[in-house]
Amino acid sequence: MLNYLYKRISHAVEVLLLVSIITFAVLMWIPGDAAQLILGSDATPEKLAALRSALGLDRPWYLQYWDWLKGFVSFDLGKSYLFGQDVSTLIRQRLPVTMSIAVFSMIIATVISIVLGILAAIRKNTAVDYVSTGLMQLGSSVPAFWIGMMSIVYLGLELQWFPIAGYVPPERGFVAYLNSIALPSMVLAIGEIGMLLRTVRTSMLDALSQDFMDMARAKGLSSFTIYFKYALRSAMIAPSNVIGLQFAKLVGGTVVVESVFSLPGIGRLILVAVEQRDVFLLLGLVMFITTLVIAIALLVDIAVMFINPRIRVEMQGE
Amino acid sequence: MRCKASDSVASKIRIKKKYHLIMGGGLTVLVAALCLLSFIYMPHNPNEMNLGLRFVGPGQNPAFLLGTDNFGRDILSRIIYGSRSVLLVCFVAVALGSLAGSLLGAIAAIAKGPLSAVIMRSIDGLMAFPGILLAMMMVAAVGKGQEGAVAAIGVFMIPPFARLVYSLILDSENLLFIKAAKSYGISRRRLLAKHYLPLLLPRLITQFTACIGAAIMIETSLSFLGLGIQPPNASWGLMLNEARQNFLQYPYLAVGPGVAIALSVLGFNLLGDGLNDLLIRRRS
Repeated sequence: MLNYLYKRISHAVEVLLLVSIITFAVLMWIPGDAAQLILGSDATPEKLAALRSALGLDRPWYLQYWDWLKGFVSFDLGKSYLFGQDVSTLIRQRLPVTMSIAVFSMIIATVISIVLGILAAIRKNTAVDYVSTGLMQLGSSVPAFWIGMMSIVYLGLELQWFPIAGYVPPERGFVAYLNSIALPSMVLAIGEIGMLLRTVRTSMLDALSQDFMDMARAKGLSSFTIYFKYALRSAMIAPSNVIGLQFAKLVGGTVVVESVFSLPGIGRLILVAVEQRDVFLLLGLVMFITTLVIAIALLVDIAVMFINPRIRVEMQGE
Repeated sequence: MRCKASDSVASKIRIKKKYHLIMGGGLTVLVAALCLLSFIYMPHNPNEMNLGLRFVGPGQNPAFLLGTDNFGRDILSRIIYGSRSVLLVCFVAVALGSLAGSLLGAIAAIAKGPLSAVIMRSIDGLMAFPGILLAMMMVAAVGKGQEGAVAAIGVFMIPPFARLVYSLILDSENLLFIKAAKSYGISRRRLLAKHYLPLLLPRLITQFTACIGAAIMIETSLSFLGLGIQPPNASWGLMLNEARQNFLQYPYLAVGPGVAIALSVLGFNLLGDGLNDLLIRRRS
């Protein structure tokens, strides 16, 4: 078991290192550098050169990378030239917004896809199955920003169920907070349901065809117990892994949704960093998000390891 | 009895799958026709501004079927014209990405050893970027606009093709005809072109179709964020971005481009599903 854990963690670290190298290499391409960004386009070449050497931008890229990596390991993500603040401070200010909608939409997507997935599996090849599969296809084809715009018009403006923009921190009233993130989270969830629903349906079908289901029926258990206590438990293993993966997609998807709903989150920060080509801000943001996503996938894997008796037994046998 | 029941289920599934193919094919042909139409006929010049005719609602003026936008430009013409830029960017990008990815995957699978490890690890690294982050990063490096979008989507498409080709070649190494070809000393290039390519082609076609759907989603997202095709050119994502200033008063501005995006993504996804059943399941 420890062996497995060690393998998973070292693989995660390896991937992170690779991601940092790729990111660094891509961002080194950007024409014009931080010195140019700070001084503006009408700066004299001497001034630029002086600032470059002061910032260490005139050194070879591998030395710059090494310095940056040393900083990253000690939780120092460098400084944003655009904002003149530490990248970690900027992230800390905006993280609550992004995490709120990411977690909230994950919960919505999970609940809906489990319920619909179970129904679709139990009533296989009936109207319920076809409707939920159709919804799933449609949900993964319609772009989130468009659903966002439409829901702002119809749910926000006409029906006035939700505020149409802005974020209320939880300190200023929990209900107002939930209200402000409800619409963005729902919009984000729609895109996530497709994949999750498909996985729940398949693994539920798989579980229903197992021998222990016949056994449970033969014992005369109620159908509620059969479906929820027996089938669901064994059917939840594959979807738990997918949830980890989906979370990664979702954090990327917040960029668009935050933009639609004017939420001051990390997604907006990424957009600004890309538009203004603030290299260190972008580097810090990309690495922060990727680390977060990989860490969550790792935690999910470990959690599944404890839930799934098959893996547990296999590991004891090792 | 049992056999009969499963027969009817199988035929039901077959009809459902065929329906995927027909629906997907139909929608794809529709989008392609729209793109072709943009070269032959458009009701108005898509970039022509007409400030006297701003915000004409759909159906209010027979000359502007879907209405006009904040500059008085005809929305229908812009949707028709937009299909050109979306399809062009997506096809070029996915073609480049799939070529690079397939080559990398093939090299990794045939070369083995440290080269293979380096390639496949880098692919793992590319896969680890969450969502459209990698695409946005590429735009930052290459610059906004058409080239940036092609680079962003192209790089995004490398990992799926590399992984597919890599695993398929490793899986089929033990097939008899591959072993036979190897036994008489075939060159690696010939082995790839003559034996592996026909074997992989159905999978590659299916993957390509499905990836076009994903590419349209990324392209429109980038354009919506203002990072893709730049104004005054028309692109569906950009039209939605421009509609944001006024869509609270005039929601119709956002309806047309959104429907166009949804239908084309749905079309390519369904076609990918249908082809998957037609080309792959039937063989095995």
